[in-house]
Amino acid sequence: MNVSHLVAAAGLTILMAGPAMAARDYISIVGSSTVYPFSTVVAEQYGKSSGAKTPKIESTGTGGGFKLFCGGVGVDHPDISNASRAIKESEMKTCADNGVKEIVEVKIGYDGIVLANAKAAPEFKVSRKDIFLALAKEVPDPKDPAKLIANPYKTWKEVNAELPDSKIEVLGPPPTSGTRDAFVELVMEVGAEKIDSLKAMKKADAKAFAKVFQTVREDGAYVEAGENDNLIVQKLQANPKAMGIFGFSFLDQNADVIKGSVIDGKGPSYDAIADGSYPVSRPLFFYVKKAHVEVIPGIKGFLAEFTNDKAWGKDGYLADKGLIAMPDAERKKVAESVANLTPMAMK
Amino acid sequence: MNDNGTQTAMNARPDLLAPASDLKRRYRTDKWFQRIGLGAIALSLAFIALLFFHIVREGHSAFVRTNIMLDIDFAEKHFVKENLAAADYTALVKHALTETFPEVVDRRDKRQLFSLLSSGAAYQLREMVLANPRLIGTRQQVWLPADDDVDMLQKGKIDRDLPEENRRINDRQLSWLDTLASQGRLETQFNTAFFTGGDSREPELAGVLGAVKGTMLTLVITLMLSFPVGVAAAIYLEEFAPQNRWTDLIEVNINNLAAVPSIIFGLLGLAVFINFFGLPRSTPIVGGLVLALLTLPTIIIAGRAALKSVPPSIREAALGIGASKMQTVVHHVLPLALPGMLTGTIIGMAHALGETAPLLMIGMVAFIADVPGSIGDPAAVLPVQIYLWADSPERGFTEKTSAAIIILLAFLMTMNSLAIYLRKRFEIKW
Amino acid sequence: MTEQTFPLYGGKAASLQERLGDASPQERKTVGTPFVDDPRMTCREVDVFYGGKQAISKVSIDIGRNQVLAMIGPSGCGKSTFLRCLNRMNDTVGACRVEGEIRLDGINIYDPTVDVVPLRARVGMVFQKPNPFPKSIYDNVAYGPRIHGLTKDKNELDEIVETSLHKAGLWEEVKDRLREPGTGLSGGQQQRLCIARAIAVSPEVILMDEPCSALDPIATAKVEELIAELRTQYSIVIVTHAMQQASRVSQRTAYFHLGDLIEVGPTERIFTNPRHKLTEDYITGRFG
Repeated sequence: MNVSHLVAAAGLTILMAGPAMAARDYISIVGSSTVYPFSTVVAEQYGKSSGAKTPKIESTGTGGGFKLFCGGVGVDHPDISNASRAIKESEMKTCADNGVKEIVEVKIGYDGIVLANAKAAPEFKVSRKDIFLALAKEVPDPKDPAKLIANPYKTWKEVNAELPDSKIEVLGPPPTSGTRDAFVELVMEVGAEKIDSLKAMKKADAKAFAKVFQTVREDGAYVEAGENDNLIVQKLQANPKAMGIFGFSFLDQNADVIKGSVIDGKGPSYDAIADGSYPVSRPLFFYVKKAHVEVIPGIKGFLAEFTNDKAWGKDGYLADKGLIAMPDAERKKVAESVANLTPMAMK
Repeated sequence: MNDNGTQTAMNARPDLLAPASDLKRRYRTDKWFQRIGLGAIALSLAFIALLFFHIVREGHSAFVRTNIMLDIDFAEKHFVKENLAAADYTALVKHALTETFPEVVDRRDKRQLFSLLSSGAAYQLREMVLANPRLIGTRQQVWLPADDDVDMLQKGKIDRDLPEENRRINDRQLSWLDTLASQGRLETQFNTAFFTGGDSREPELAGVLGAVKGTMLTLVITLMLSFPVGVAAAIYLEEFAPQNRWTDLIEVNINNLAAVPSIIFGLLGLAVFINFFGLPRSTPIVGGLVLALLTLPTIIIAGRAALKSVPPSIREAALGIGASKMQTVVHHVLPLALPGMLTGTIIGMAHALGETAPLLMIGMVAFIADVPGSIGDPAAVLPVQIYLWADSPERGFTEKTSAAIIILLAFLMTMNSLAIYLRKRFEIKW
Repeated sequence: MTEQTFPLYGGKAASLQERLGDASPQERKTVGTPFVDDPRMTCREVDVFYGGKQAISKVSIDIGRNQVLAMIGPSGCGKSTFLRCLNRMNDTVGACRVEGEIRLDGINIYDPTVDVVPLRARVGMVFQKPNPFPKSIYDNVAYGPRIHGLTKDKNELDEIVETSLHKAGLWEEVKDRLREPGTGLSGGQQQRLCIARAIAVSPEVILMDEPCSALDPIATAKVEELIAELRTQYSIVIVTHAMQQASRVSQRTAYFHLGDLIEVGPTERIFTNPRHKLTEDYITGRFG
């Protein structure tokens, strides 16, 4: 019967595939979905111009990326991890425990998080305090600021009399997303601190304070729109009353249909993010395992491609994709440490 | 006939001409039931039609691409004989563009001009020269891919009438494009790259071949493992296994397994195939193994149902003339059950074809630009490709996403037709 | 055939007689002549259980050479169950347990060392519903010889197929379409094809489980004719509901009632002069 042949063939293919996998001739990259669009462009450029195999890039999220990255040294483990935040001490410790002793940190630029609405809708000028009050699950009672109550605000006007009288309806990323982490940290936390009663609370009970700014309301005013930012863009077009939260690159690519809101007096323009005046921005990184540089072919070439002004410069192709370039001096400094493969100080 | 007579007759026998009211009600219920059923089918067909219409409307434009024809001067000064690949092909493109628009001199303007062409243009020229070095020293008219923004404009997905600052194409670029168009140098042509290329971050260069090939390799592994194992398990459980608590337990577990969320299989695959057996991440071999686990319950359940549906008289006939149990199964029962098993297998494979969740865990949701050559190369599969494109910020990927869905559906239909063909071939008429 | 309550035993059955010695033959329920001289098969004290339920109890009967034994009785009397014991078809039913002895040419077919494959080649079976394989007519008949390796080459196989179809009285009807599917034949032809399939492996005994119950009267007549012819070469055991049929085709008739073998005797006598009250009631149509 053919069945036994098929089984034998399947078994054989598995065995034959074994030796081919011992070595890896392509770069393996994991990590942040925010860095993914930039990392992939560089990978493609590098693959095409060098003729080497194109690096493989998985979008695992920053935390997931470090988990894989710090798993150990060897071809089974990734060479580079993308991150939308700096590596944490605990992650560095895991790395060190698994033999990943030397890591080169590469800061590649900035990303802004924008609050945007449809082009047709009026422009929003909000403060981070407004956003906090509109989106937190529990806010201080306006009558008795010491007491927390379930968020009573239905319209933006109720939050701040200067804002339009439209329903609060914000589409944003789910808690699994790095964008959400950054949004919570850069907007919600700062916004909460602007309120006196919460500021006092932070001093008294940091944990309770964290719970307040981290918990987003669940009564329909904040809609978790999944990881797909394109979907948010489409929904904003369809519903001019709604606001969306996503990375700057989506605003950049869709500037003809949506516009970013002014936050604390600054609009999300390339320049405002680059010079740090737009408040909701974060640096992006990737981390290289030094032990792999000599083993896996192409890592040096990839690093050179990434840290070339043609890529990450102000007029580089990454800027076209929405990456906010670092100032010239900083770029030069990072490029130098990359060229020398200067590892981070391990704590 | 008087009234009394009719009354008694009706009591005695149902009137054929005037059915009793409860009978009428029964007919009405029947009719309603039929209408509801018909309505349900019509509704689902309407949704399918809507889905297809939407996808085709969104996706059909991805099968064409805007190209720009330039006079490329393959001047010898650009090339070093020993290393043709290293030549500065971008310079060739830029040179040709400045020739076409000599009035553009300012550096900023030049940048905008150059951005009309895709970064893939230079690579296309390199491929041409490497394939045919005799081009060097000649002047050729070459169709080169335009940038995705130009492509979107050409396809009407960027509105020309918007204020300039809201467009990704500014007024100067528009005027250049109009000039090119008036010279017949701007055309939308069939997008071969979509079928011959791997993934790319440039929408105009992105192709599905890598994903299609990855899907094929993965599904071949899945089929080769899950079909024989599933059929063997179904035969054992249905024909040979004793009826006891253990087999009951196994049966319940298989049925439960069919309902386990697919990501669990991904976790299992990660733990077993990658961490324990050390198979490489992101490869069709691991993907195929994981999807085989996923499809096995479906195939076993369908296989058992198919075996059950073979009339026992056939088994008796074979046993009655002295066929052994195995001969009975292989010669008579299996051929009759095979069409049903194939149907189950195709359902399982179709299920596997649409999965991304388990592949996420084993690293197949990744940017992989190279077309995989073997089951040990990193590869993406079609649903993953769709997922990744759907999440890309560039406008051009919207149509690519729909086009990839069309390809996936075509893939599915091909598989289904194959299954129908095989079923017809193996089907034994009574 | 002698009219005694207990038979003359052949040498081979002597040990069995000893085993049964303590139970006086006269006390046994079966009346008439369950035993014959020079039997093909001998059944002694056969009990059949389905799970905890006893379906057949203490049936002792011989199957003679070159004769047709008809088994009659009301539905659920165990006649089919008993028939299926004769080539161990009941093995396929997990919960079925057979006790007692059934010997074919002196060998107990329920002995653990006995292989059912050759047994079923020697004791063929035809079922109630015609069940040809969904294959060609030729392949239907050739299947048995093929799996038992009875032929050396294609010519021999062709010959067996032709002879078997001849014997089954089907050759003239199908000789031009041997490659067509057997399932395309009419019901009566299908049943004769099944008979041809059974005799292709040269069995000694053919068991028929209500072979005509799914056939029309004309097809039934043909099959009955065939049974009469086959008797010259094979021992035949037939289970039937139609008493007319039993009287037409069989030489001996056994009457089963609720798992007991009530009466056995020459067909003519059973139908004209039943000795047991139950047999008489059944035959005269008081129940059934």
